[in-house]
Amino acid sequence: MTQRPTGDAIIVTRGLKKDYVMGAETVHALDGVDVEIQRNEYVAIMGPSGSGKSTLMNMIGCLDTPTAGEYILNGQPVQNLDDDELARIRNREIGFVFQTFNLLPRATALHNVELPLIYAGTPSKERRAKASAALERVQLADRMDHKPNELSGGQRQRVAIARALVNDPSIVLADEPTGNLDSATSAEIMGVFDQLQDAGQTIIMVTHEYDIAAHAQRVITLVDGKVSSHDAQIPTERFAAPVTG
Amino acid sequence: MRFSEGIRLALQQIRAQKLKSFFSIVGVIIGITFLIAVITIVEGMNTYVREDFAGSLFGVNTFTVVRRSQIETGRADAARRRRQARNPDLTMRDVEIVRAAAPGARHFAWAADRGMPDVRHGSQSRRNVRVIGGSTEYEAIQGWKVAEGRGLTPVDGQQALPVAVIGSQIAEKLFPTTSALDKPIRVGGQRFRVVGVFEKQGGLLGNVRDASILIPFSTFDRRISTRREEIDEIHVKVNASADMEHTIAAVEGALRRDRRLRPGQEDNFHIQTSGDLLNAWETINRILFVALPALVGISLVVGGIVIMNIMLLSVTDRTREIGLRKSLGAKRRDILFQFLTEASTLSIVGAILGIGAGVGLARLVSRFSPLPSTVSLPWLVAALVLGLGVGILSGLYPAYRASKLDPIEALRFE
Repeated sequence: MTQRPTGDAIIVTRGLKKDYVMGAETVHALDGVDVEIQRNEYVAIMGPSGSGKSTLMNMIGCLDTPTAGEYILNGQPVQNLDDDELARIRNREIGFVFQTFNLLPRATALHNVELPLIYAGTPSKERRAKASAALERVQLADRMDHKPNELSGGQRQRVAIARALVNDPSIVLADEPTGNLDSATSAEIMGVFDQLQDAGQTIIMVTHEYDIAAHAQRVITLVDGKVSSHDAQIPTERFAAPVTG
Repeated sequence: MRFSEGIRLALQQIRAQKLKSFFSIVGVIIGITFLIAVITIVEGMNTYVREDFAGSLFGVNTFTVVRRSQIETGRADAARRRRQARNPDLTMRDVEIVRAAAPGARHFAWAADRGMPDVRHGSQSRRNVRVIGGSTEYEAIQGWKVAEGRGLTPVDGQQALPVAVIGSQIAEKLFPTTSALDKPIRVGGQRFRVVGVFEKQGGLLGNVRDASILIPFSTFDRRISTRREEIDEIHVKVNASADMEHTIAAVEGALRRDRRLRPGQEDNFHIQTSGDLLNAWETINRILFVALPALVGISLVVGGIVIMNIMLLSVTDRTREIGLRKSLGAKRRDILFQFLTEASTLSIVGAILGIGAGVGLARLVSRFSPLPSTVSLPWLVAALVLGLGVGILSGLYPAYRASKLDPIEALRFE
């Protein structure tokens, strides 16, 4: 499972820094992060609370820009882009999957999945076709017209995954995707991610659970805003106390 | 994001929260309802005054000499009104002077009238009638047509006969099942015989004719009037509108000479034409069109503030949704547009409801009162534009706030 950086990197960060000024103090949330993630890689990002993994995820997800350093996503430097350009990158290159699903409660599954396509300016016919196809990929073809409150937790997260996939993003960025699910449903969702990876999708997953991270090919561990390991060993036995973050 | 998508989203939002949405647009609904109802009635009045009223009350090419002007508007006229209160009564002498000054007149008539508490036939009665004592040509000059029986004749006047031509409302009230002709009626303790019934006039001032009783002037003078030779109006109808100006000038000059008014001294009588009425109406109209925007403006401003507050609440409520949309690729202007569209859709829906309610209200009013109503398309469009404007203005700040939200913080918002 060891896969060292080669030529086909989809994410490259060099000396990525993010400072937050809190009163008189400056917090170095990221303190020079260099990571490289290859196309079709399945990477987990772990780290204790305050290690900077959320900040790194926001940075990779183009929700935030670094104070210093370089971030090249799919060959394009994105560290200096403005809000609207970042919005475009998020729309085209990144598919988010959140812990709390973040579906629009009043919209049907189909409409929720169509959302990124609306912002991409896709014509409605094509939108519908693509959204249906994405829902089929997560085995929800028969639930398209259901609203989130008519779906189980696992089904909701699958709708969210379909939404993340619908615009053919370069990376799927999942933030604790099983955090709100029971273990059986977690296994089901992790199965979906495994299938996506098999189909060639690059996946980056932030988690604090080792058995979830075990699905990834590689684990990047952060400590104090720095990468402490690019390929941490996943213990085979389950840990008693999961690290929160 | 496309326009139709924005509207669809906005309507979905409104549907999801019907009651809240309704309350948020109540101000706009009330403002637009008021605007449209008043405009509809004012436009109705306009049409009516221009097309029917002036002509039917005064007759075409007709002017009337009266002791003092009956139509006055505005504060500037108050002093004149006080001066005119001292004008002398019109007399038969004035009648003869006017007649002599307008030899080419097509019709010439004089009349006096008096409101009476009621008119009776047997046990039937009608309250509040106007008894008009008119000279022979009065009907002709007013253009009043008889529907049944006959009008007054010179003989009725010469012999001061107790005969009456009654208005349609009176005929309907006193003789609901039978013909009124040749029946006796009692007005002010006097007996009259009905010889004719006027055609129904209807409309805003239908009472002028429909609730009137016309008797010969001589009979009025003897039996109804409280004062000998009481004359309230002297009517002159000329042959063509080109004759109006010089005939009026001749009558005015003759009366001034007879009353020995010095040059520069104000007339101590008044000559009234349908133009006076139109002028008066124009004045009322102007006041309405100044006062109305102010009233409507206030309710729309209030309505706009309500919408703005609701939208601000909505932005807070939907912070996570905004964060999500941004994370999925919504640009600032997409969010701005979404909330602007929502506010505009809300207030346009309010405007449409207001238009419906306003037209309905005006229709209701004109159904149960003599006020006419005319729906004016330009004003409906204006109401919609106003609604849109209120929506955009009140949505601007909330939409701006929404668009400025930081996606990370918005997503984390509880």
